[in-house]
Amino acid sequence: MKNSGLKPVLLRHETILFVVLVAEWIFFDAVGHNFGTYDNTCDILRHSCEIGLLALAMTPVILTGGIDLSVGSLLGLCAILFGKFWRDAGMPIPLAAACTIGVGALAGGLNASLIAWLRLPPLIVTLGTFSLFRGLAEAITHGVDTFTDFPASFLFLGQERWLGIPAQALVFTAAGIFFWLLIHRTTFGRSFRAIGFSPEGTRYAGIPVGHRMAMVYVLAGIVSAIAAIIYTARLGQAKADAGTGYELFAITAVVLGGTSIFGGVGSVHGTLLGVAAIAVLHSGIAHALLPGEMAGMLTGVLLILALAGPALPKMISGLRARKSTPRLAKQIP
Amino acid sequence: MRKTLLLLLAVAVTTISGCKQSSKAPSGGNVTPTPAARQITIAFLPKSKGNAYFVSCAKGAQKAADELGDRLIIDGPTDPDPARQNEIVENWITLGVDVIAASCENKEGISTALRKAEAKGIKVVTYDADALPDARSFFVNQATPQGIGYALMDEAARLCESNGEFAVITGSLTAENQTEWRKFVEERRAAAYPNMKCVAVEACDDLKDKAQSETTALLSTYPNVKLILSTTSLGVPGAAEAIKQAGKTGAVKNIGLGLPNENKRYVHDGVTQSVILWKTADLGYLTIYAADALAKGALKSGDKTFKAGSLGEFEIQDDNIMLGKPFTFNKDNIDQFDF
Repeated sequence: MKNSGLKPVLLRHETILFVVLVAEWIFFDAVGHNFGTYDNTCDILRHSCEIGLLALAMTPVILTGGIDLSVGSLLGLCAILFGKFWRDAGMPIPLAAACTIGVGALAGGLNASLIAWLRLPPLIVTLGTFSLFRGLAEAITHGVDTFTDFPASFLFLGQERWLGIPAQALVFTAAGIFFWLLIHRTTFGRSFRAIGFSPEGTRYAGIPVGHRMAMVYVLAGIVSAIAAIIYTARLGQAKADAGTGYELFAITAVVLGGTSIFGGVGSVHGTLLGVAAIAVLHSGIAHALLPGEMAGMLTGVLLILALAGPALPKMISGLRARKSTPRLAKQIP
Repeated sequence: MRKTLLLLLAVAVTTISGCKQSSKAPSGGNVTPTPAARQITIAFLPKSKGNAYFVSCAKGAQKAADELGDRLIIDGPTDPDPARQNEIVENWITLGVDVIAASCENKEGISTALRKAEAKGIKVVTYDADALPDARSFFVNQATPQGIGYALMDEAARLCESNGEFAVITGSLTAENQTEWRKFVEERRAAAYPNMKCVAVEACDDLKDKAQSETTALLSTYPNVKLILSTTSLGVPGAAEAIKQAGKTGAVKNIGLGLPNENKRYVHDGVTQSVILWKTADLGYLTIYAADALAKGALKSGDKTFKAGSLGEFEIQDDNIMLGKPFTFNKDNIDQFDF
């Protein structure tokens, strides 16, 4: 940042999003009941934790120009497998959790090998595993089996506070720091962007593109498994329909956070702000006693504004340029 | 620069939430029974918002809330995500409502959230579908298996003048609720209508098409059958279609459990005589009266009866408030209901 005046910082996507977030907060605190309380802040954190984790994992995926539609389904599959490991296989909770994370890594590995080594398009591969994982979850439980009665020590992770902070928020913070360091402070992070801009160019630069791409999908699998465990702890139950539609929430948060869907551009703090903006909106609408459907609508408006906002000045200057060129053309002959 | 922004975010959020912590008194935090002093806020949770069954429940709930002068919040999931019901309840907890009335999609899942509400001093009643008993004070029970079984058999006997053969279409032979209902149908028949005879019980796997084909087969196998009785809502229109196509409209009567809207056409055509269910609007109405009384301390565990506005007195069995006998929808009244 050599010519860092105040203007470029103020016009940065993250800054604008931060202002929007603060505005949301002030607005809902004014019109809502008990919105800005500490209790509700904790609830917002708890409710957005799983989607936040998925969005964190989605950020490097989208940075490489890919997409992972299977994370929500994998969350469902991991949730019921966690239940199976614990209830039916009789494993203690920590072992069951470890096995679940292993399954997440394997499932991510399936995506990774199809995308990185068979060079299939991520959209198609993960659309396939999106159905596959959910289908597996439904087949294993026949759609009706539900896992409940988890021990209180496990439910603590999803429902209680540790030193005044929701327990799962600590996991989320750790994941946030991990991804921030990975993307913004390591050569891995730089290579993700490079792949997003030009996979071929990156390959010629001597970076193992296949290996790096595989890494982001395996990471997404692992994080989905962690999110599944937290989801189970928060609800106290695991069912095959866990996490339905979460992949789209995660993608929305990432894109809202300023990551380009074509890859190459984006940041982890942008994603975190995106998650926060959506979570605050959802909670705010409930606390302002507005109908819940408005949350979806407003998220859409927010997303479109966030994307159209930066494009507008460009379009206006483009129009000006077009207006001026014909005049010039007339004068020439 | 990024760090500064993140830091700013952290500071802003903590300060805003920090100073707000105690500025608003949580109204749901300590509900003391001071009737008429303060408006009571009741939160009403259906299994899903768009379902016509719950829409009509909510209508009754709104009517009751208007009569009582309570504030009513109605919200529910639009999609089948089980986490949504919990999130809605948790939002209501921080919102500080006085009572939550819930119809539970999933017993165990929602019970953790409801218990949390109770721990914060919010009263909880359930209606339509119960939570775990330790997560609520009362369950507004719309119908007992006995009530349903007896109502079906009584209606069958009325239409057949207490004698002749009839056949039963059930959802499946293994489903617990269906088995229970059939047991009470048989109990009532044996006790009150010994001249009636159940010649067959067929399962339709909760499919309308299968109900239709099973009924067609029944009508040719047992030509003396005077009535088809369905214990599943999809059986009634399925059987009606079979009777109609066999040209036996009116000759073979058709009754069962079901929703008025699915059966209106057949009832008006005279194929189906009666559909049995409960008045959903009354269920919502009673639920809100119970919620209000619970918040005001007028309804306590151990009570044997409960008076709900214009609907009068209801019986309480243990912690179940009984809506009473099922309601019979027929040609004369079915158009008044829309669910």
